[in-house]
Amino acid sequence: MLRQVLKGSSRPRHNDSAWLLDPQRRGVPNRDRMQRHADSDEVDLCIVGAGAGGSVLAQRLARRGWRVVVLESGRFWDPDRDWVSDEAGSHGLYWTEQRVIGGTDPVELGKNNSGEGVGGSMVHFAGYAPRFHPSDFATRSRDGVGADWPISYAELKPHYEDMERELPVAGQHWPWGDPHSYPHSPHPVSGGAARVWRGAMKAGIDMRVGPVAITNGVMGNRPHCIYRGFCLQGCKVDAKASPLVTHLPDAIEHGAEIRADCRAVRVEIDSNGRAAGVVYVDRTTGDMRMQRAAAVAVAGYSIETPRLLLHSVSTQFPGGLCNNEDQVGRYVMVQGASQVAGRFPDEVRCYKAPPPEVSSEQFYETDARRGFARGFALQTVSPLPIAWSEHVLAGGHWGDALREYMRDYNHWFVMGVLCELLPRPGNRVTLADETDAYGVPVARLDYTQCDNDRRNIAFAKDVMHEIWLQAEAQDVLTIDRYAHLIGGCRMGFSPVDSVCDKNQRTWAVPNLFIADGSVCPTQGSANPALTIMALSARLADHLSHAA
Amino acid sequence: MVGRYPDFDVMQSADTWDDATRAVVEQRLRSPTDLRFFDAAEAVTAAAFSDTVTAQDREPRVPVVAMIDKKYAESRHDGYRYDDMPDDATTWHLALRGLDEVARRRYGSDFAGCPNEVRNAIVEQFAGGSLQGGVWDTFNCKRAFSVLMRGVLAEFYSHPWAWNEIGFGGPAYPRGYMRLGEGLREPHEKPEALQRDPVRDTETAR
Repeated sequence: MLRQVLKGSSRPRHNDSAWLLDPQRRGVPNRDRMQRHADSDEVDLCIVGAGAGGSVLAQRLARRGWRVVVLESGRFWDPDRDWVSDEAGSHGLYWTEQRVIGGTDPVELGKNNSGEGVGGSMVHFAGYAPRFHPSDFATRSRDGVGADWPISYAELKPHYEDMERELPVAGQHWPWGDPHSYPHSPHPVSGGAARVWRGAMKAGIDMRVGPVAITNGVMGNRPHCIYRGFCLQGCKVDAKASPLVTHLPDAIEHGAEIRADCRAVRVEIDSNGRAAGVVYVDRTTGDMRMQRAAAVAVAGYSIETPRLLLHSVSTQFPGGLCNNEDQVGRYVMVQGASQVAGRFPDEVRCYKAPPPEVSSEQFYETDARRGFARGFALQTVSPLPIAWSEHVLAGGHWGDALREYMRDYNHWFVMGVLCELLPRPGNRVTLADETDAYGVPVARLDYTQCDNDRRNIAFAKDVMHEIWLQAEAQDVLTIDRYAHLIGGCRMGFSPVDSVCDKNQRTWAVPNLFIADGSVCPTQGSANPALTIMALSARLADHLSHAA
Repeated sequence: MVGRYPDFDVMQSADTWDDATRAVVEQRLRSPTDLRFFDAAEAVTAAAFSDTVTAQDREPRVPVVAMIDKKYAESRHDGYRYDDMPDDATTWHLALRGLDEVARRRYGSDFAGCPNEVRNAIVEQFAGGSLQGGVWDTFNCKRAFSVLMRGVLAEFYSHPWAWNEIGFGGPAYPRGYMRLGEGLREPHEKPEALQRDPVRDTETAR
């Protein structure tokens, strides 16, 4: 009740990041006085990766007095200088080094689902920040598919609430999963999203505005969103959340060091089988160095975390660190993210307003009548011209037809789904034969859908077509694609079914933790960012109580 | 490229953009530099392919080939390759050679020397994955098409002339938008001049 009264105005309990920013310029002001540690100085925790998982863990533990070093492969962004309101010019935000993809249904990587640089892929995520549903934590027992988590929704709930306040998340009261409200009010919606809404209503589908991690009103020194539509190119406004503005300023204020341009290549294991630190390349000088640490947390996400472990070979772990049970890199998941565009006689101009506007989780849970287990979420997505041209190409158009569909850009609006695809052991990250500039084998990701996945995607596309029909769209265009990554080093009940335990401690190495989305045994139909952050906040609680 | 928005020039808003964005966009309007990735013969074939798939048939053209050349000369990659494909740069070299091979076999000329209908027929098969013989037997034809198209479209639709044609408002920081709702337009957004409706008008014509 009190939170309702204070809507939008309550300051987070454990995080001053928004108040540490400079109102006149973007970037992290206290970076200039960031504490530095020597490689030989055994810090309390060395984290690999400054994305959603690593940044929250660093911030929480630095607040509790831990000496933390975060190694980040990419750059420390200065958004005023480095980011642009431009699709092609935003290439530097992605992990664009070589990776190999295979399997029957290969997952394209790069701009769609990878990130590099301080802030990770949240720098260019759309901004949707839904929670997982309670059912996601027990799909094996409830629905006979996927896997059960060793933790329940209830254990994550307080951290979801904290994160929603810290990002902050804006949206209408949420009726699905565990019903809850958001700290910031729903944003106004564009004409295109209004059409989706009307079509959905007529089709008997409930939609809600949000939930998006975009300020609606000021928060500390973060301003209101200006609806410029370039969320996927990095928010130059500081309105959309990424760890660069939501957690790292506070982490640095409490003594954490974010060491950018440093590529981890190996976790070093001592003769007692404990992690001794992280070997990394200082990409500025080319020097190979090692940061000593009392504990190590790997937060490189579903591709790079397994790759780092698999490359960390030692006599105790000849097939890769923590991989003696052959679990590392398995159960990688993506979401089936087909999109259907609808054409309208009037101008819609989908480039205005943030791409994430309204969404529905009405189809999230299993409904036996649909003929498959689990479900999907519906969300608006608004492509900029290059993304729209890929959509048109996927419709089989090139030459004159493509040009004509492109000229019609302002008449189209696009919605997408996130289908929960099931975890499968063969969907796996392994090491390819080729190596990168530092001699480390590049990652290979094999991906193959199961029948349940295919039925889910086909059904979800039918629902989108029905919404556009009800919205009186004149024409539709469909693209099949994937979104998000999760899994690859999952938490579980024993060393034979997983890489780490319920507290994200690897079964094989007592002072080595996994602190990113790769620990998730299932993915639901939710965008993963909020859950990854909430898991790290929970991990930090556990570590500081255990220490 | 006049298109449906003859009175709209996105560059007229350039003074409302932040410096970093303006520099990136204005750079695309400068004269292309000398080729570093494609050789001269490849560039001719690449230009013919690019013209065919983007339906560019007159000057001024968006200099797609020079933009792609710059991308690969600067080793900017997209972050993945299929396991049955070489890397993207090699795919470009091979596919261009393959287009010329097919054109010579069918028409006795390089791809660029073929009339439009021959080029279109070859690209149709390229898109459908059915080109065969020579280099086409060494990799996945359909995926090669997607590699080339990804490259062409990313450059073409990053160019302000293409934005003008489709009525895209372009960069919008720090100005942003205030009028999001149905039927609303910012003062600087121009309506379409040609109220042709491709869906309705085609149906009427039938």
